[in-house]
Amino acid sequence: MWTPDNADRAMQYFYWCIGAALVVTVLAVLFVPGVDDFVERTFQGYVGRAAR
Amino acid sequence: MPVETRALVTRVLIVVGCLLLIPVTAVLTAAVKQRFSDGPNRLFSSGPLVEGELYSGPEPDWSFVDDEDIQTIELQLLDPPRARRIWTTEHDGKLYVWSGYMGTLVGRLWKRWPIQAERDGRAVLRIDGRRYERQLVRIESGEILDGITGAIRDKYPSQLTREGVESGDSWLFEALPRSESAQ
Repeated sequence: MWTPDNADRAMQYFYWCIGAALVVTVLAVLFVPGVDDFVERTFQGYVGRAAR
Repeated sequence: MPVETRALVTRVLIVVGCLLLIPVTAVLTAAVKQRFSDGPNRLFSSGPLVEGELYSGPEPDWSFVDDEDIQTIELQLLDPPRARRIWTTEHDGKLYVWSGYMGTLVGRLWKRWPIQAERDGRAVLRIDGRRYERQLVRIESGEILDGITGAIRDKYPSQLTREGVESGDSWLFEALPRSESAQ
């Protein structure tokens, strides 16, 4: 059953997951070959469209 | 708005904000990583250009930059000492670089190097692994733009015209030898 307590616990799990995802993201961009290029290429696409 | 609804909306906004943090973090990390590199990759500027022989001698025959293999070159200003990847062309024995998107707010936020180069045009170009000390001088108008923009359209799938440069949508610079421009 969905209670305020359950919701708080779910948010706590969510924050932990986001924290872990951020750490994995930083490590992947720094150390996994090709990830930084993928990020840059994708961001370049968005910026290029916005700048037109 | 009922308290429960407000709490739910707040929670949804927090979740969305946290999820957006992931791509933002990826972009920031990639930008910071690039800043410590010798040479830019695509969009983010790098640190100063360090590697590569520093050219000294007579003015080179710049026609080699119109080779298909040289689509972009690396440009570093002395102030600030950051490098970015830019387009280039040769026309009438002279070397030119330019930046588009200068007519929009996003473009001017993104492309800050032309504004910095207009303030202080001292630059280092790295082409094919060799570094050249140059002085960037902006060309804003004149018949010469017809020839330069024609050379650009021949090399790239670009729509750049003299009118586009004269209106300020694109900023075009001649890369003069540093010693010549200092005289």
